[in-house]
Amino acid sequence: MAKVIRQAKDYGRVVVVDDGSADQSFSRAKAENVTVLRHLVNRGQGAALQTGHDYAFLNGADIVIDFDSDGQHMAEEIPTLVKPIIEEGYEAVLGSRFLAGRFSKVPFLKKWFILKPAIMLQNFILGTKLSDAHNGFRSLSRTALSKIKVQQDGMAHASEIIEQINTNNLKYKEVPVTIIYNDFGQGFISGLKILRDLLFQKLNK
Amino acid sequence: MHYLPLQIIISLFVLIVSLRLIKRYKNNQLKTSEFFSWLFIWLAVLVVFWLPESTSYLAAVLGVGRGADLAVYLAVILLFYLIFRLYLKIDNQQKQITKIIRHLAIKEEEDNQD
Repeated sequence: MAKVIRQAKDYGRVVVVDDGSADQSFSRAKAENVTVLRHLVNRGQGAALQTGHDYAFLNGADIVIDFDSDGQHMAEEIPTLVKPIIEEGYEAVLGSRFLAGRFSKVPFLKKWFILKPAIMLQNFILGTKLSDAHNGFRSLSRTALSKIKVQQDGMAHASEIIEQINTNNLKYKEVPVTIIYNDFGQGFISGLKILRDLLFQKLNK
Repeated sequence: MHYLPLQIIISLFVLIVSLRLIKRYKNNQLKTSEFFSWLFIWLAVLVVFWLPESTSYLAAVLGVGRGADLAVYLAVILLFYLIFRLYLKIDNQQKQITKIIRHLAIKEEEDNQD
């Protein structure tokens, strides 16, 4: 986790949300000299995400990047998620592991029996055309931040965000990202009681 | 009157519950509407156990075979309704807890910066 924070720090201000972890997460994140928001009790990934969003909004962030703390995402790709907001006027940019150009080694079974059916169902229900359900790597503009309020405390927040992007008519696009399937993956997240990193870039002109 | 022992047990039970209801109502822990609907439900239970024939009349009107069946049907429907209400209430409370925790988290950070 410390490594993830160090890498992300190069791209903006890092905000870590500690969702009631019983382990050393809080002090370890704190040791990296970043803002750490601590939930006194575990409230779930969605709740942690919204806490980060609220904090970013209150502190005048122009762009927020949602970033997992378990090393699944690559900090080097943050600029590709920020660029469409600054240069093309998008309000939300979603990372997709299935768009051409990046080679995420998605396990075969996971891809065709879990992810793809989930994407199809979601597209069908929300009327969206996305290539990836959600992998937690996304960027939001300040406008999007003011409109998207995550109510789902648990794991349903990702779909909820897409739904709210849709209902608020926010301009969004997908960009290819690399997802690293390391040894810990989801197990590590739940082991840490879902710790969510949140990173935002201030782009004061 | 072959199930007299059960009638006495139920009556005692209803009596205890009613006393507790009255106590809570007096302490302003219950709204008037809540108090009377709960009291009505428990009195209905008494009526069903002491005058089982009374349910047969209602059952016939509603097209249910026996009075006892009707009582069970109604009880199940009522239970489902109450569980549903509890579910909504818990969901609401979960959201409120999250709000409090979020507020505390952000406040703690702001206090540390001053």
